[in-house]
Amino acid sequence: MYHYNTNIMILVMNSASSDIIYLIYGQSVDMDWVEKYRPLHLEDVVGNGPAIRQMLDWASAWNKESRPLILYGKPGTGKTSSAYALARDMAWEVVELNASDQRTKAVIERVAGTSSTTGSLTGAKRKLIILDEADNLQGNADRGGARAILDVIKKSRQPIILIANELYDLPAEIRSRCDLVQFRALQARSVAPRLKYICSAEKRSCSDIALRDIAEEAHGDMRAAVNMLYATAIGRDQIVEDSLSTSRKDSRSSIFDLISGIFGRTDSEKLLRMSYEVDETPETLAQWIEANVTHLKDISQVTRAYDSLSRADEYLGYTYRQQYHTLWRYATALMILGVSDAAGSEGIHARISSPERWKRMGTYRKQKNVRINTLHSIAERLHMSQGTVKEGYLSQLGILIEKDPLGYAKEFSLDADGLNMFLHDKAKTQGVMKTIAAEEKAREKERDLLDKEAEKKRKSAERKKEPAPVQSTLPPEPAEQEPAPDEPKKTQKTLFDGF
Amino acid sequence: MMDDSHTIWIEKYRPQKLADIVGQNEIIERLESYVKSGNLPHLLFTGSAGVGKTTAAVALAREFFGESWHMNFRELNASDERGIDVVRNQIKQFARTSPLEGATFKILFLDEADALTPDAQAALRRTMESYAQTCRFILSCNYSSKIIDPIQSRCAIYRFRALGRDAVKEEIHRIATQESLTIQEDAIDAIIYIAQGDMRKAINALQGAAIISREIDEKMVYAITATARPDEIDELLDLSLKGDFEGAEAVLQKLLQERGIAPNELITQCYRVLVRRPLDQGLRVALIDQLGVTDFRLSEGANSEIQMEALIAGFVMLSRKYSS
Repeated sequence: MYHYNTNIMILVMNSASSDIIYLIYGQSVDMDWVEKYRPLHLEDVVGNGPAIRQMLDWASAWNKESRPLILYGKPGTGKTSSAYALARDMAWEVVELNASDQRTKAVIERVAGTSSTTGSLTGAKRKLIILDEADNLQGNADRGGARAILDVIKKSRQPIILIANELYDLPAEIRSRCDLVQFRALQARSVAPRLKYICSAEKRSCSDIALRDIAEEAHGDMRAAVNMLYATAIGRDQIVEDSLSTSRKDSRSSIFDLISGIFGRTDSEKLLRMSYEVDETPETLAQWIEANVTHLKDISQVTRAYDSLSRADEYLGYTYRQQYHTLWRYATALMILGVSDAAGSEGIHARISSPERWKRMGTYRKQKNVRINTLHSIAERLHMSQGTVKEGYLSQLGILIEKDPLGYAKEFSLDADGLNMFLHDKAKTQGVMKTIAAEEKAREKERDLLDKEAEKKRKSAERKKEPAPVQSTLPPEPAEQEPAPDEPKKTQKTLFDGF
Repeated sequence: MMDDSHTIWIEKYRPQKLADIVGQNEIIERLESYVKSGNLPHLLFTGSAGVGKTTAAVALAREFFGESWHMNFRELNASDERGIDVVRNQIKQFARTSPLEGATFKILFLDEADALTPDAQAALRRTMESYAQTCRFILSCNYSSKIIDPIQSRCAIYRFRALGRDAVKEEIHRIATQESLTIQEDAIDAIIYIAQGDMRKAINALQGAAIISREIDEKMVYAITATARPDEIDELLDLSLKGDFEGAEAVLQKLLQERGIAPNELITQCYRVLVRRPLDQGLRVALIDQLGVTDFRLSEGANSEIQMEALIAGFVMLSRKYSS
């Protein structure tokens, strides 16, 4: 299904500029496989075809008007690899920033600011700015970081790619200025061939079943899969199913055993032991149990189950309020044993459900972030605390905004989500946002035009001051000379326009 | 022998070699093969206290680096320093500098990594990747679910299990022999009961008992660890559940006053028995809830004498309610 011809490897070895090569030759023994087999070119990236195509289209059509990209998705789905591979395929330089650097405003501006605005006029060598882990900006240590990123995006004359696990952890102002590229979890059947390829490159024999097991265990995370393979393969020539008992990514499957145990005929001690082995926090357990309480037949059973769950929930509250983690065990015992008592070992006859709440979590997270961001920008504008705005002014603002959405959206720099929070009318919101975008574009064009004219004026002024030396002393610089023939004409026109 | 009577045994008898670690055979076998091949991925050790996570990490470093292990190995406890600045400063500083004495990489052992804030974990994940050439990370934690997915994705995960009877027994015998102690079989059972799979607790109990005498019996073990014997707990519960408040109250007073057992410890021991004991499931749940209420009130600073009496009274009432 997946073809790896040897040409790719040879290609890798030949491209002399690559750091990776050096590493392959220099330290082949120690290099971990995730790095060693990181795809170098976009065509080598496994899965996520639509995302890759979108990136390629973006890059090949890139101009100064292009918006930055946000690559988002679960860990190990190829975001960072694809960004680097894109740069390599486009022969762009890379400037990278990430959360382990101190991401204060100053740092971002120094590193990204310079590379994003300066760039040779002829545009020969582009620099791709990669902001990895762009969703990890919260906290005091990164104060001003989000604003700095925003500034870079606005000012940049170079392509930018932001990378994040959680799209909605990015500030809305940033999201609304970028195009989104989603990376999805990989299918086990596309992970397995890659593992097989690595095994053969590393001269390890491996059973297909073992590889499939690893691919499935990784839950769509290529890095986890390769890591598991590496951890299993070290010191072994062949990999079979038995080799896998340890060194795997945490498996969540046994939560199903626990749930069916609770509803079935399992003794208390065993249930509690299972709850420990599942290695989930009691909150998560409670959510799983709750999700399945609805499978109970009788309303009195459901009531009793909820009694225990809510009592357990109280203990969770005590635990955190007191920071006394011994209380956790009562939460666990009550939710598990209490619900098992309510269920009366009748067994579960429906499919075990995963928590409803998780499905809704994505939306919740988005709504919460929208609320926070909107409050933040309004509070800042009104010189009030967010709490004051929320308690005393929000409803009144709602009425005002409904009357003049365009004006207030601009006043509070609301984005589409923020505006819709007040309007509850998607069509209307979109209309307003379109108007704002159009206005902004017009303004930017105007500004660009003014910038260019100012530049021309300055240049022509310089030229007029000392025309002779420029011509005579600096002949061997073709790049600088190139635009010269056009220059006088433009200057004339500008001067003319000015008058 | 008397010279090092001041040494803490958990340090004195901490296994130096991977092969000496008991009760985690599968994991140890994998770690040894890393040493043999000279390769090491990032590792995540999960498991409860006293099951060998730290010991395995230190032993691994010794076997990788030999004499120079001190120079290439650093141990940090994340619960002491849990902010993002630790990752950005201390950890990065260690990770970025080259390994010494011809080693191909260093090892950073981050204990209690689940105490790191999510921000700090996010910063850590990148550091792990950026400096993988010079530094391998071993993270340890009690709950792997508290470690963010991007880090789990970068590690090989090893789950250390609570130590079984045999593993604790073997180690206690080994130490007893070296210290020339005679230890009775029931004393070993007592140590296993107290330890609950935690080797540190087991060895501490042994050293405590050895202070009293070189011939160790069950009584000394329970006395030195201020733990009630299982039969004492059974007696307390039997009486309460029979509805004999006076009898149960007398046992309670004996345990608290004469034996000097802490209320918390008593609650924990009752909890363990209640989970296991054959009981009506509804009654079991109600009794555990009662225990929880008491534990919570004690944690809020309530008077332990009153609360423990109330606990027993509550047990009596509940048993009456469920028997009718």
